[in-house]
Amino acid sequence: MRVLEFQAKRLLQERDIPIPKGVLVRSAGDLAGLDYPAVLKAQVPVGGRGKAGGIRVVRDVAEASRSLRELLALSVRGHPVRVVLAEEQLAAAREFYLAVAIDRTRNAPILLASAAGGVEIEEAAKQDPTRVARRGVDLCLGPTEHAVRSLALELGLGAHATQFRAIVENVFTLFRDCDATLVEINPLALCERGLVALDAKILLDDKASFRHPELFGALRDEQRQVAPGQLSEAERLAEAANLTYVALHGDIALISDGAGTGMLTLDLIQDAGGHAASFCELGALANAEGMQVALRVALADPQTRVVLVSLIGGLTRMDDIAEGIAAFLRSDQGVAPIVVRMAGTKEEEGRAILHALGIAAFDDLAATVREAVSLTKEGPCLSS
Amino acid sequence: MSILVDETTRVLIQGITGKVGAFQAEVMKAYGTRVVAGVTPGKGGAVVHGIPVYDLVEQALLDGPVDAAMTFVPARFAKDAAIEAIENSIPLLVLSTGEIPDHDLMTILRLASIRGTRIVGPDTPGLVSPGKCKVGVHPNRVLRQGSVGIVSKSGALSYEVCKRLSESGIGQSTVVGIGGGPLWGTTQRDVLALFEADPETSAIVLLGEVGGTMEQDAAAYIRECVTKPVIALIVGRAAPPGARMGHAGAIIEGEGETAERKLASLEAAGCFVTRNPADIAPFIKKLGGLDSR
Repeated sequence: MRVLEFQAKRLLQERDIPIPKGVLVRSAGDLAGLDYPAVLKAQVPVGGRGKAGGIRVVRDVAEASRSLRELLALSVRGHPVRVVLAEEQLAAAREFYLAVAIDRTRNAPILLASAAGGVEIEEAAKQDPTRVARRGVDLCLGPTEHAVRSLALELGLGAHATQFRAIVENVFTLFRDCDATLVEINPLALCERGLVALDAKILLDDKASFRHPELFGALRDEQRQVAPGQLSEAERLAEAANLTYVALHGDIALISDGAGTGMLTLDLIQDAGGHAASFCELGALANAEGMQVALRVALADPQTRVVLVSLIGGLTRMDDIAEGIAAFLRSDQGVAPIVVRMAGTKEEEGRAILHALGIAAFDDLAATVREAVSLTKEGPCLSS
Repeated sequence: MSILVDETTRVLIQGITGKVGAFQAEVMKAYGTRVVAGVTPGKGGAVVHGIPVYDLVEQALLDGPVDAAMTFVPARFAKDAAIEAIENSIPLLVLSTGEIPDHDLMTILRLASIRGTRIVGPDTPGLVSPGKCKVGVHPNRVLRQGSVGIVSKSGALSYEVCKRLSESGIGQSTVVGIGGGPLWGTTQRDVLALFEADPETSAIVLLGEVGGTMEQDAAAYIRECVTKPVIALIVGRAAPPGARMGHAGAIIEGEGETAERKLASLEAAGCFVTRNPADIAPFIKKLGGLDSR
């Protein structure tokens, strides 16, 4: 879960990390009592909002009201703006970058810091990787004092090194205690009152929701209110069932019981001159019920003209999956042709069930893909 | 030989009384694996398909040594189960469980590195040395004993390739599923090193996917250290950037993480690269001398 900026700042403030004074604004009435100049920042769950016009500096109430109206009419990369964070504008003498992330090559946390903070940090890092200082962190020890001291020296923090150390420690505590996969402050600005987190990005690990039911639940509820998603019917169904679903632009809805073979099938569709409408992987839901839901998801997409089911089960039982297809055909109407590749555990039983439904399951994946692609080249859309 | 597991490997199943654990323990046993013990807290004294169940790993160890453990526990209990196996010095732990929180994995992998347990996974089908021992959930029917080593991020893709190889009369020494990431206890590079050193493995199939940089690391290792022929297939050529393609680690976030870039690096490292699993068996046939015994 990517938390919104104001939520991230609240989490930082709870851990004594300084943030600008600010207020959440839904309408002009909320602007009362704001100090000027101020910054109005659209609260959307995506990056790049500055370039999309989602951040405005305003000097008085009139300008603030006008900018607010414009912001609330804006969409940033498909996300309509419902809420704006209005903050005091702080003059920054310097802008730093600070983050704790997971180093996937070491399976351990890593501290990242740079004196080139601000919106151009990614470009700066790409052009010269040495501009971002990195210090591996041992999960058991946390950031060690000398590592933080050396970062402060490298960043030229001088007298602010002590405050920097406290911020690093608090950021790491937040990262650890909230099961975050990223806590990023950019910029961490040096202002008159010291270091202040002017913007923040926090990613929380959804897999750890069970450990933080209240915190994660509250953050999600709040997001639903202020930044409702723009999900299609298929995406909504898939999300409710916890299925992996990626919407694409073609007409073959792909359902697989494994990520690797799903991607392989997608590649082979492309090689055969076909176009996938969607990619759906059953994962832990590779059973009758999951299959039934996946078919509903596939056919909720009006682009779908053929459904290709690509199965090679280890954990997955083919008889179970076939029962799911049978149940779907019994309960749902208006079906596109379903092409099935079936191999693996209990495949004879699965084939027999499909045979009774008039579906001849293929053994060869390439032949299955050819069949699905050829079906898209003929006849009108059958699902509408 | 083969790598990591063979006919002497004594296996313990964590979570053996669950539906999946019980079913897979039975299938492993039927395959010939020496499944000597199961552990489920609170179920000590039970027997599952002739396998004694204990409350604790340490109790199981009193009745005989264990060389490898495999977990079939839900994600929220995986950290406890893994730490129990590690603290009891089990040398190999197959972490089949998916959806384990990253922070739990960091703890598990840190402790495992201190205590000397090799972790395979998480989110893995496990591993199998065909004809000898299976600590995994691979469908038995796609496997055949032989001399091709396979390392794969995806379980299903390894079944796909094993099926085609076996149907062509080409057997496998060991098939290792390392998991879909984005954190890994054992990497492609680790498995490549084991296959390179294994006298029974004469060719290696590397099955990778988009996302992350592990294949780039494997390519660098192959160039420097691997003398055996390596056949590489990377899936996800048609995957759009930024989308998570089923595996937590299968997401293109940088330029070096696309299938074509990985294929290019592997080809430059001397691998035979292919975009279609149908090409693998004919290529191995051409190498010659690799048919199963």
